[in-house]
Order: sequence, then structure tokens, then C-alpha cells
Amino acid sequence: MSPVKQRLLLVGMIVIGFAFVVFFGIRFFHAFRAFNGHRPPHFPPLGSQSVETDVSLIRDWMTIGYISHAYRLPPKLLYEALNIPPNGNERKSLKQLNDEYYPMEPGIVLAKVKATMLAIQPPVVPTVMSPNTAMPPVTAIPPIKP
Amino acid sequence: MADFLLTQVINYGAPLFGLILFLGAVGFPVGASVILIAAGAFSQQGILEWFPTATLGLAGAIIGDVLSFGMGFYAKDWVDKRFGNSKAWKSAEESFAARAGLAIYLTRFLITALAIPINLIAGGSGIQFRRFLTYDSLGEFTWIILYGGLGYFFGSQWELVSAFLSNFGGLMVGVVILVSGITLAVRKLKSESNQALMQKN
Repeated sequence: MSPVKQRLLLVGMIVIGFAFVVFFGIRFFHAFRAFNGHRPPHFPPLGSQSVETDVSLIRDWMTIGYISHAYRLPPKLLYEALNIPPNGNERKSLKQLNDEYYPMEPGIVLAKVKATMLAIQPPVVPTVMSPNTAMPPVTAIPPIKP
Repeated sequence: MADFLLTQVINYGAPLFGLILFLGAVGFPVGASVILIAAGAFSQQGILEWFPTATLGLAGAIIGDVLSFGMGFYAKDWVDKRFGNSKAWKSAEESFAARAGLAIYLTRFLITALAIPINLIAGGSGIQFRRFLTYDSLGEFTWIILYGGLGYFFGSQWELVSAFLSNFGGLMVGVVILVSGITLAVRKLKSESNQALMQKN
């Protein structure tokens, strides 16, 4: 290889390497911030399985069977909500079901599944706050005598 | 592609997972690392059984690596004919042979984008198959435990881990190319200045 070609190759390596570092460095930084903001979910004891409740984690590659397993609810409810027969659709993703049954309404199956899950889930009960003990008790203040 | 494969892993389980890792190791762009993290999460959710899934995945990845090592091995004659007389090629081969174990191990889980080129180079550079298999198996085992374990640990939030790790992998590739380029450039500049000094004297 001629010296000019060698130099060009080295310059190319440095430029490509630098571009990779900048591009993936920025993406890594953003991914790290998103990752760091989320703590891992409560780890279930060995042998038991976690029950999912966060509806925002449902994706259109998931099947009805998978969703009902992860969220612990009967698949029949979701098939009924979608007005789709279960037979022959067990292995199809939400996207495939959408393309087959609602081709004119992209994303409707995913939206309907999420809405159904939200309607079924019990409402979140706010936890009772403990009384603020930083306030001094009323009886501690001696009565003011005229 | 990844979405389609995720649906099929849910449907067909560990055997398909093993096949996907095999295809990834041979060089098909199947997003094997993403599927591995997801498989860890599916195991935690009770969709897949972790032991057969990990075993079939490990077997698929190792068999795929052995196949791409074989491709490099059988291309050796052609490479020797084409570059056999080149000093630079011989020096690169020697340099690779000295660090082959570490390169094979690290490219299984840390710089996965370079795994296939390393398999081909390893096959073509004539390093012992047993040595390749040892480092390859160790690296793939680390990959399965690390990535699959993170998926298992994070469960339904596995997509966050996946985005984090894939960008980290790209960053590592960039660092390797940049550091190699700078190192080679510094060496070249030094040798050129030495030659210039000798010519003056």
C-alpha cells in the first residue's frame, strides 16, 4: 500500500471512529438518563412471577395471550372488547389483528386493548399520609395569662 | 424485523430463540442482543423457562460462531494467495494471534458488532480451533448471563435496558476504531520521523 493510501486509511479510521463516538455517545447519554430514572421493578421471590399493571408498556408486537398472561386477566375479555374471535388468532400480534380486522384504522387494536385494560384494572387508592409530627403539640404551649 | 421475531419467540419459545441466536452469530441482522434481553424478561414473566432457553440460546450462538469460523478457515487459501506476500498482512496476523483470546472473548458481549469479522479473521489466521472454541464459549456464556440476566431483572421494563446496551455497543465500536486509528497514526508518524533523521545522518 502506498504511503498516501495508508494516510487516507488512517484519517478515514479516525474520522469514522470520531463520528461513531459522537453519534452513539449522545444516544448513550440519553438512554442512560432514561435508564437511570427508572429503578428496576420490585423483584418477585424466586419461583413466583410478577404481575404487570403498567398499560403503557403494551406494544403492538404482543399477542393477546401474552398480554393476558403478563397482566393476569382472561383473554376472552380482550377478544370480546376487540370483537374478534379467539380461534385462529392466538398467535397473531396486535398489529396483525389490526391489519386483518381493522385495516382502515391503524393502531385501533392497541388503543382498544389499553383502554380495556385501564377499565378493568381497579382504581389506584391513594395511601394515607402520616400526620405531620414536626408541628408542636397544642398542649405544649402554656396558656397566656392576662 | 425485531418486532416480528419477538412475537414468534412468544409463540414458539426456546427452540426459535436458539435458532435466532444461531442466525445472528452467522451474520444475519436479527437483533440477537435485543431478543436475548427480551427472552430474559419473558422468562421472568413465566412465558419461557429460563434453563432450556439459556441452553438452546448458548448452543445456537456457539454453533453459529463455529460456522463463521469455518468460513474464515476455508477462505484462508484465497486470502493467502491475495495478501500472503504483504508484510502488513503478516504483521496484522501475528498481532491478532497474540491477542486473539481477548478479542474473541470481548467481541461476544462488549463489542458485539465486531464478533463476525473476528470469527472470520480467527478462522483465516490459523489459530487453533480448540482455543477459539474455549474463548468463544466463555464469551457467549457471559453474553447470555449478562444480557439475559438484565432482561430477567428488569422484566417488563426490558426495552430501557435494550436501548442502553445497544448504544453502549455502538459507542464501544467507535472507541475501538478511534483508538486504533490514533495509535496507528502515532506509530506511522514516529517511524517517518525516525526515517527522516536517519536520512539526515
